[in-house]
Amino acid sequence: MNAGAALTLYVMSAVTVAAIVLAVVPLPASARRLPEAIGMAGIIATLAITVTQWGERQVAFSGELRIDRFGLLMTWVIMIAALATLLLGWGEPAAAGRRREFTGLVLAAATGMMLTVMSGDLITLFIGIELLSVSLYILCAMEVARERSLESGLKYLITGSIGTALLVYGFALLYGVTGTTSLAGIATRLDSVGGLASDPLLIASIVLIVVALGFKASAVPFHMWTPDVYEGAPTPVTAFMGTGTKAAAMGAFLLLFTGATSQASGDWRGLIGALAVATMVVGNVGALLQDNVKRMLAWSSIAQAGYLLIGVAVGTTAGAEALIYYLFAYVAMTLAAFAIVILREREVEDGDRLVAMAGYGRVRPWAGVVMTLAMVSLAGFPPFAGFVGKFLLFGSAVDAGMTWLAIVGAVASVISVAYYLRVVIVMWGPPADNRSTVRRLRVPPAVATVAVAGAVAIIGLAIAAQPMLDLCADAARALIIP
Amino acid sequence: MPWVSLLILVPLAAAVVLGVLPARERRAARGVALIGSLATLAISIIVVALFDRDLAVMQQVDHLDWIPAAGVSWDVGVDGISIWLVLLTTVIFTLGTIAACQRLPERRGPAFLGLIMLAQAALLGLFTAGDLILFYVFWEFMLIPFALLIWNWGGDDRRGAGMIFVVYTMAGSLLMLVAIIATALTAMDATGELSFLIRDMQGVAFGEATSTILLAGFLIAFAIKIPLWPFHGWLPRAYSQAPIVVTILLAAVMSKAGVYGLLRIGVPVFPEGIGNLLIPVAILALIGIVYGSLLAWRAPTMRLLVGYSSVAHLGFIVLGIIVIDRMAAQGAVLQMINHGIVAAAAFAVVMMISRGTGTGDMDRLGGLAKGAPRLAVAFLFVTMAALALPGSNAFVGEFFILGGVFDQYAWMAVIAMLGVIYAAVYMLRMYQGTMNGPVRGVQDDGRAAEMGARDAIILVPLILMMVWIALWPGSLVGATRASTDLALAPAQVAEGRPVEQIGVLPARAAATPATDPAERP
Repeated sequence: MNAGAALTLYVMSAVTVAAIVLAVVPLPASARRLPEAIGMAGIIATLAITVTQWGERQVAFSGELRIDRFGLLMTWVIMIAALATLLLGWGEPAAAGRRREFTGLVLAAATGMMLTVMSGDLITLFIGIELLSVSLYILCAMEVARERSLESGLKYLITGSIGTALLVYGFALLYGVTGTTSLAGIATRLDSVGGLASDPLLIASIVLIVVALGFKASAVPFHMWTPDVYEGAPTPVTAFMGTGTKAAAMGAFLLLFTGATSQASGDWRGLIGALAVATMVVGNVGALLQDNVKRMLAWSSIAQAGYLLIGVAVGTTAGAEALIYYLFAYVAMTLAAFAIVILREREVEDGDRLVAMAGYGRVRPWAGVVMTLAMVSLAGFPPFAGFVGKFLLFGSAVDAGMTWLAIVGAVASVISVAYYLRVVIVMWGPPADNRSTVRRLRVPPAVATVAVAGAVAIIGLAIAAQPMLDLCADAARALIIP
Repeated sequence: MPWVSLLILVPLAAAVVLGVLPARERRAARGVALIGSLATLAISIIVVALFDRDLAVMQQVDHLDWIPAAGVSWDVGVDGISIWLVLLTTVIFTLGTIAACQRLPERRGPAFLGLIMLAQAALLGLFTAGDLILFYVFWEFMLIPFALLIWNWGGDDRRGAGMIFVVYTMAGSLLMLVAIIATALTAMDATGELSFLIRDMQGVAFGEATSTILLAGFLIAFAIKIPLWPFHGWLPRAYSQAPIVVTILLAAVMSKAGVYGLLRIGVPVFPEGIGNLLIPVAILALIGIVYGSLLAWRAPTMRLLVGYSSVAHLGFIVLGIIVIDRMAAQGAVLQMINHGIVAAAAFAVVMMISRGTGTGDMDRLGGLAKGAPRLAVAFLFVTMAALALPGSNAFVGEFFILGGVFDQYAWMAVIAMLGVIYAAVYMLRMYQGTMNGPVRGVQDDGRAAEMGARDAIILVPLILMMVWIALWPGSLVGATRASTDLALAPAQVAEGRPVEQIGVLPARAAATPATDPAERP
């Protein structure tokens, strides 16, 4: 066993425990930022370690944990999302008094996400998903004084538990068919034993796993919880769920399908493709009807999950490569958008409603530019990162002979233009009458940092698409090494 | 110097500067916008000066890899098809910027000018792109500035008009993206290399069925942008709700994007497909000519009248391209420029009249010539050009198109001829209804609408260009001939046209001297 290989896990576990311990011991006022500081230091250390580990696969805990380019790059997405969440929650008035639990739980969830994408075994994968889910159940309900927040946590708990149950069931069947819980072992078994791919038990397990992960990734028809939970949860938590959870769920999809069961791709390509189609269509149509920006972003995250699923459905490394690139772009766009929503929420009551955005671009042009960039890129307008990602995803679909996926994706993108640009129009339009006196507060630097960094990434990822794609291609190739 | 790249980057830089300028700095904004557009105009003149008119392929190419793994690159250049469109764009945008500076909107002046600069960068990028993805990038990107201009500064129905404009265009263009990807991947099967360069795709034999399907994907996007009947639903609302300066830019320059795409990509890359879609597209173009003319005849406002006449005029251009005849294609390229100038001038006249009288309703205007004789003269000139009176610039273009069409499909020329007759009806209705007859003016007899020095700065250069083209059409056509011949040749071969009609045989492009179609027996 290679002790150094699992260093990121130790670091993240240590800072999580430290943050949770600090949450229960009384701290002097001068040290009240200590948990956040420790958490950020841990995340930055993790990012640094992943850079040094970039290379061929190392395993830890006898293959339970795989530290390869895929896991490392996905860890980047997750850690960036976690770091941004801590920044967005910095000084969050709603979380006042509970800031320390907040930090500890975000770190625990991030550790779970990292465990998920680095897992080499069904057991590790399951533990990772559970760790992130349980942490998020609590995070959603953290504003205990607010009914919506409690409701959100409870809803997430109930639907999440159903997903978990199905996941265990699916894993059990998969183990029953292949006789191993190791992802590499499953791939080898499917490769060497003829006829296994058409085993009804395997197909049943695949269906169960797709449904379970569909819950986590909020794919249609398992998305019903998403708008309510996203709207009710504290906004930094919503941002974290929209980015980190999505990344972890997509990572699990890639590990289990493009990676482990690629030999049986005939069993799941059509299924996941159908899921992608339903998700793109319902997500985009649902978003059309929203007048709350958080709720709109929830529906948009459903729709975006549909585009991402294209990368799984095609079953090729090109698809995985496009998916990972788009994940980075999606995280940048979503975090930038949420940062602006948080900014507004702290200034006015019901700041997450669309009318609260009216004329905001004229009050704070830089915020207007950031939001415009995020929306335009989410809608897939060139030349931004969202366009490059969609282009690669659609390209992988056409290349894999699934042109219909690309066509549905294109049509869905047209629908999405309507609601994304509505935000842009409202922002640059005249202020609503009853809000003509816009309250201006000092912009929290932490939130502004996330917004601007997101905007820079939206442009930077498009300009430096090639170096980024090289990394994504390395990661995608690591996926199929048994 | 990479002049063609600078052509795109200079207005882009001006847009960025205008974007960060505070709203109250309207003087500085005017300065930046004027310098930016004049610099772009100067660069385009350099590009024209360096242009080699005997070369058929893309020249002055700047190539830089963007995403090599996906075969995407920054590849811009000019050829005979695009060179005059580039000049048209820079000239019209310079005039548009001057017009915008004269009456800068009260709120956020720099943003208005910045968006115009952004639109210019996108259009110049579109007309010079040699890579399909880059073409798509600019195609889509131009929507953002135009939509924002309509949304923020348009008329009462600006929200709806802008949204319809965006959704219509996006619907076509995203399907075009799928077609672009499919085209490149199909070409990769044949060549073994993934590339989105248009010149790499020419000469790839896609097979008739594939070629037709792929072309259809592109055609929907082009048809919406042109707009070809029945895809013109967005046009009346967008043209009548946009700020008038923006309407000038839309009608004069953006409307060329679709027809340009047809000639740049549709015909040369999918020669086998053109044969199958020739008659259907030609019929849509013919319906557009007749239908647009009839709508223009009964249009209630001047803006709608000019807007619908654009549908008819663009139908002519589509017809000129789709019949794959050398003379018609040269006429089509010439007519793109002519229509750009004439539409800009016509909308400029509309702008002056509505500004002076406060209305654009045909019913509420009349007898303006009495108080505005100078405007009446200029307007008469524009009217003559718009109805393609012999001796005007548009006459040359329409003559080329109709001549070429008649050679191939006489019946089409007969129907298209209706458009020429209708043009006289609706243009004269507009001129007589507003300038002659009893004074119906809301305020006075037209003195407020009279052309002053500030209006003349915009209108006179346009009229001078009309005169130039009317007198020396050869100066334009001569430069386009080699490129249009090259673009048409594969489709002509696939269609089995007689050899003497084909300018360059694809296999030995350099060996065959191009003969002037005007000298053809």
